[in-house]
Amino acid sequence: MESIVFLGFNLYAWITIATVLSMFTVLLFTKLRADLVFLSAMGILFVTGVLNAKEAFSGFSSTSVVIIGVLFVVVAGLTHTGVLQWIVKHLLGQPKSYSKAVVRLMLPVAALSSFLSNTTVVALFVGIVKMWSKKLNISPSKLLIPLSYASGMGGVCTLIGTPPNLIISGLYADNTGTAMNVLATTIPGLFCLFVGVLSIIAMRKLLPDRKAPEAAFESTSDYTVELLVPSDNKHIGETIEEAGLTNVNGGSLIEIVHYDDITSPVPADELIMGGDRLVFAGQIDEILDLKKSHGFVNADHHVFTMSEVSGDRQLRTAYVTFGSSLINTKIGNSSFEQDNNMVLVAVARRGNRIDQPPHEVVLQAGDTLLFECPPNVNIHTERLTSQLQFFDSAQVPNIGKKTFISTTIMILMVVLSALNIIPLLQCAFIAAMAMLIFRCCNVDQAMKAINWEILMVFAGSVVLGIAIQKTGIAERLAFGILDVCGTNPIVVMTAICFVGTFITEFISNTAAGAMFFPIMYQAAEKLGYEPYPFLIALMVSVSSSFATPIGSPTHMLVYGPGGYRFSDFMRIGLLMNLIILAANIFIINIIYPLTPLQ
Amino acid sequence: MNIEIKEQNGSFIGILSGWIDTAVATQFLEDMKPLMDHADKSIELNCAQLEYICSLGLRGLLQLNKESAAKGGTLILTHVEGEIQKILTMTGFIKLFDIR
Repeated sequence: MESIVFLGFNLYAWITIATVLSMFTVLLFTKLRADLVFLSAMGILFVTGVLNAKEAFSGFSSTSVVIIGVLFVVVAGLTHTGVLQWIVKHLLGQPKSYSKAVVRLMLPVAALSSFLSNTTVVALFVGIVKMWSKKLNISPSKLLIPLSYASGMGGVCTLIGTPPNLIISGLYADNTGTAMNVLATTIPGLFCLFVGVLSIIAMRKLLPDRKAPEAAFESTSDYTVELLVPSDNKHIGETIEEAGLTNVNGGSLIEIVHYDDITSPVPADELIMGGDRLVFAGQIDEILDLKKSHGFVNADHHVFTMSEVSGDRQLRTAYVTFGSSLINTKIGNSSFEQDNNMVLVAVARRGNRIDQPPHEVVLQAGDTLLFECPPNVNIHTERLTSQLQFFDSAQVPNIGKKTFISTTIMILMVVLSALNIIPLLQCAFIAAMAMLIFRCCNVDQAMKAINWEILMVFAGSVVLGIAIQKTGIAERLAFGILDVCGTNPIVVMTAICFVGTFITEFISNTAAGAMFFPIMYQAAEKLGYEPYPFLIALMVSVSSSFATPIGSPTHMLVYGPGGYRFSDFMRIGLLMNLIILAANIFIINIIYPLTPLQ
Repeated sequence: MNIEIKEQNGSFIGILSGWIDTAVATQFLEDMKPLMDHADKSIELNCAQLEYICSLGLRGLLQLNKESAAKGGTLILTHVEGEIQKILTMTGFIKLFDIR
């Protein structure tokens, strides 16, 4: 079949082209699972003889795909120990201008995304940014696109920050036998981030000023939190004023329940007694700080000392589903908490503030409930599906010793691999094991964190890259580009990065990386230059998808909450694509000057 | 609810009895005023016959305790048993008083 040639491509090449085009058509216009589509593509390439068995399934044994899988576990350890919450709490602050807010937001998000999955970071930041934007009196739509862009640009800064980097560096290692340093993209990535932040500030008028549709619902000021005073509390006998509870950060004390009566509103000279239930309304995270500062505990049952209560518990948020048996009941009147090993600490209701203790609230469909559960206990959310819909992305871990441990593990992993002391794959395995040994996440959380669908897509992307290379498509395209662009390496680099930047708007960054790797590699070799700088430029460009909401999963995450339209991304994103492309080509040629092949 | 106040050698003894609940707590605070006026002296409150005390009643006791401490007097609670001991333990007030 290799002898049948049409328009310069043999039949195998045409099968590959048809497979790739059909695959992306199916992905764009149907709702079929991406992993299934990639698996089918691999199957077609294998059955038609384009690839042999070893090549067709090499994606599953690819080092970069294995690293991505292992990193899911490392990231689970970080997210379950509250690293994100710590950063949010300490870095966002109260900036006085939009420019400062953009800087305060984009830098930590980019820093986190350079080590964690971009989607995880953005998913956790979306709600926080919406609250923060209210505090700052800035429309969330002005901050959510910068949030998503920052995660994309941050991801580029390390090889482990985003899958295309790992895929491209993995393919580079396979082709040359030399591994790229984990920090190879750091300087170009930081420069592009710097340019990106300045561009967002300069082009702020292109971002829409829109009110999010469900703004009222997402306000945490609709929460009430019930805390209990243990019998050995240091504030017993003090007045509310003396204990500093008249002005609580983020909320107010609306009711105090003594053992024999209820006081509401609460006067400043009201005494605090052991066993009191204090009902606060306001921002939940700040009010829950009173547990640490004042030694209060959750109001589930009476406790006589703080030592009876573990300080390291996990918070879970859930909606009351339609048809739930909890509707029209009070949690306080049922054995729900004991049966499910969790305690209700707060209730929110769309549009209505609930000025009642959570246990006394008659629940309605759609109410949002915040539960506190014992650490390392797996709440069987599936079993409760008929009553409550849990949000996994809204898990709010407590910040404590394990936050420090998980951060240290991550930093050690990066440093040891960056200094070439231990290869990245081994480092990732050691870090994942350390996360489990130090209980930063349990085995169940680790297994759940591994996204098999994404891994399948990555494996498929690697295989597509191999097919494109093997069938000579990459070489022909490289020659085609050289014919059009001439022999100036910078022009060729720019042209391929330009096409890559726009293709990645419609297909996954990883697939774009895997497909453009052989083209860029061949083009560089044909020009007689070392491919390394070309590939670093490719890494940045395939992750620079700013112009459509489908360009990146993080854009989709902010699309609804920001109340955006498709064109909102186009307006600022097209310019961003060009600006980052220019910055990318500029910095790559300074940091990694082009060197002729030896 | 009843409070009987006696003076002995310059110190005061209050004998509390019955059920101090929210309904009678205001009266209890009123009845405690003579002791408040002598907070600079030694005061003993005998709880042997006290059956229950509400949070407002505890508030009165704590005020008397603070007043005594401020004026250089002393307040001791005696015969704290049963329900009263439970209430004082649960509320953590047991550590705030001199109980003998």
